[in-house]
Amino acid sequence: MAYFFYHTLAGQIILMVLETLAVLVPLLLGVAYLTLMERKVMAAMQRRRGPNVNGLFGLLQAFADAIKMIFKETVIPAGANRALFLFAPFLTFSLAMVAWAVIPTGNGLAVANINVGILYLLAISSLGVYGIIIAGWASNSKYAFMGAMRSAAQMVSYEVSIGLIIVSVLLAVGSLNLNDIVLAQRHIWFCLPMFPMFIVFFISALAETGRAPFDLPEGESELVAGFFVEYSSLAFGLFFLGEYANMILMSSMVSILFLGGWLPPLGLAPFTWVPGPLWLVFKILFCLFVFIWVRATFPRFRYDQLMRLGWKVFLPLSLVWMIATAAFLMATGLLPQVGGV
Amino acid sequence: MIPQLVFYVFATVLLVSAVMVISARNPVHSVLFLILAFFNAAGLFLVAGAEFLAMLLVIVYVGAVAVLFLFVVMMLDIDFTKMREGLQHYAPLGACVGGVLFFELIMAFSDWKMVPASTIAPLTGAPGLTNTAALGTLIYTHYVLLFQACGLVLLVAMVGAIVLTLRDTGMGRRQIIDRQHARTPADTLELVDAPLGASVSAQGGFLRPHQSYHETSVPGSYASGGMIEAEKREEEV
Amino acid sequence: MTSAIAPIGLMPYLVVSAAMLVLGVFGIFLNRKNVIIILMSMELILLAANLNFVAFSSAHGDLSGQVMVLFVLTIAAAEAAIGLAIVTVYFRNRGSIQVEDATMMKG
Repeated sequence: MAYFFYHTLAGQIILMVLETLAVLVPLLLGVAYLTLMERKVMAAMQRRRGPNVNGLFGLLQAFADAIKMIFKETVIPAGANRALFLFAPFLTFSLAMVAWAVIPTGNGLAVANINVGILYLLAISSLGVYGIIIAGWASNSKYAFMGAMRSAAQMVSYEVSIGLIIVSVLLAVGSLNLNDIVLAQRHIWFCLPMFPMFIVFFISALAETGRAPFDLPEGESELVAGFFVEYSSLAFGLFFLGEYANMILMSSMVSILFLGGWLPPLGLAPFTWVPGPLWLVFKILFCLFVFIWVRATFPRFRYDQLMRLGWKVFLPLSLVWMIATAAFLMATGLLPQVGGV
Repeated sequence: MIPQLVFYVFATVLLVSAVMVISARNPVHSVLFLILAFFNAAGLFLVAGAEFLAMLLVIVYVGAVAVLFLFVVMMLDIDFTKMREGLQHYAPLGACVGGVLFFELIMAFSDWKMVPASTIAPLTGAPGLTNTAALGTLIYTHYVLLFQACGLVLLVAMVGAIVLTLRDTGMGRRQIIDRQHARTPADTLELVDAPLGASVSAQGGFLRPHQSYHETSVPGSYASGGMIEAEKREEEV
Repeated sequence: MTSAIAPIGLMPYLVVSAAMLVLGVFGIFLNRKNVIIILMSMELILLAANLNFVAFSSAHGDLSGQVMVLFVLTIAAAEAAIGLAIVTVYFRNRGSIQVEDATMMKG
């Protein structure tokens, strides 16, 4: 049986499909229940109940929403470029799925344990900008186009500080492999020595996914929902799900880079009984909770304030921290050996 | 078998999208095909074993340069029909030059010899390292001057792009954020007893908040009363 | 280490790279009036050169080719940025991107 799976071509293909399903099915379920979790948590923070009609405690709400969206009519605006119009949400959604190929859920347990894993994640976030630009342009509508340009500029601005903070973390790790990044935190999680950068990375992740308080380009009462104003039914549903999948992806990046990934907090007996993937899920859930908490708490940033924050505050901060980290690691001799852990 | 198949798929899509880049009617389609071409080139790099460069190609070219192209193409209002003039006239000449160039290149590529390794040793970096680490051992030792020069080039490009395109008209409503944070409610709100039946104008009109509104705006910009000067400056220019 | 390019061989890479270069040059011939397509054709030419460098670097196990690609990438990005900034300013002043109109300093 092991021979069939590892040495024949058909076996390898089946193994790959099974691994992919093992990552994607829980992810899609997670995305569906994240929509419900957001509504329930925000409701609790606002002292009301969330959806509790569909199923016990509202647990079937996501499926009810999906069925509603499938039955709605898909309206394509006149003069819109049909192919690109329908391609954009598909692109956003598939990028959010594809990035999960490198996330390690256990020691070496990733669908693709590549040596440039963190660069792959950066590449996927850079590509996320295109879904928005294409959606805005293909809608043939001024509001959509302006919203798309703003959203895209916002995403690109915060990617710069995300990249520099990742470089600071990599200085302490010595390898681009995500599994090595997690293993380098077995003594202490990076959120403790690099706490300011943990905060800055978290806020940049908020801005990158376009979540409140940085959701001006897509807020309903501002620019009429921004780049997806012309989208309805299934296409809108794909954008919506893509945004939530992106949230989960950013939370997993925060967990892997700063919160120790699949490692238990202390390497001691009761903590190590819980399997690695479960620890990762707990950390992702914690990050998602903070995402939702921030949304319920803070008012929106105005667009110029948002751009000022990205370029004039976070970029200098992350640059200075990167230099300080390099200086500290060289002075104390804690630089990792070439080639990783 | 699999590497060859993958190579031919990537190479075919690369060449097809390159053809579409130069022949698409709509410049936005050209840029989208350019993005596809970059992707497939990154795939070819991966097949050749240059994984760091493949990812870098996607991050830098697709994620930044192509976004720049897309922004510029979408913002400029281009008349497509005029752009396509002269196509008939110059295509045959271009095809001839292209054909000759291709033929010469193929002739050069099919008949070359390598200098033996004893004369010029290939730079491999230390053995047993990943591609990224090996590149790192080379860039910061052998090629450090080139590396610094590239940094300078990027700095100059950044400064140049800003100098060329920045328009500082003073019409924007900009604020000094620190002063805005330092405001207290006493500075901004004033509770006034309004007697019943009395009109607003009888009490002096709508009262502005105190000076803080003007204090927090950048001097010379719209909100600080510099609007009239800014408009005069615009008219002069 | 065995070169990753061994199952395919060097020649197919070089043919693809030559074809890309020729397509880039042909694109400049075809689109003489549209500055943005000229800039994109230049990106194609640089991509062809990059492909060539990587192919040779992989075939000989010499990493210098990949280092060169890094630098070419940097220069190409910088040049695209400046070129597009110039196009933007040109369009702002003139309202069109016809290169032939840039003859104001003539005679």
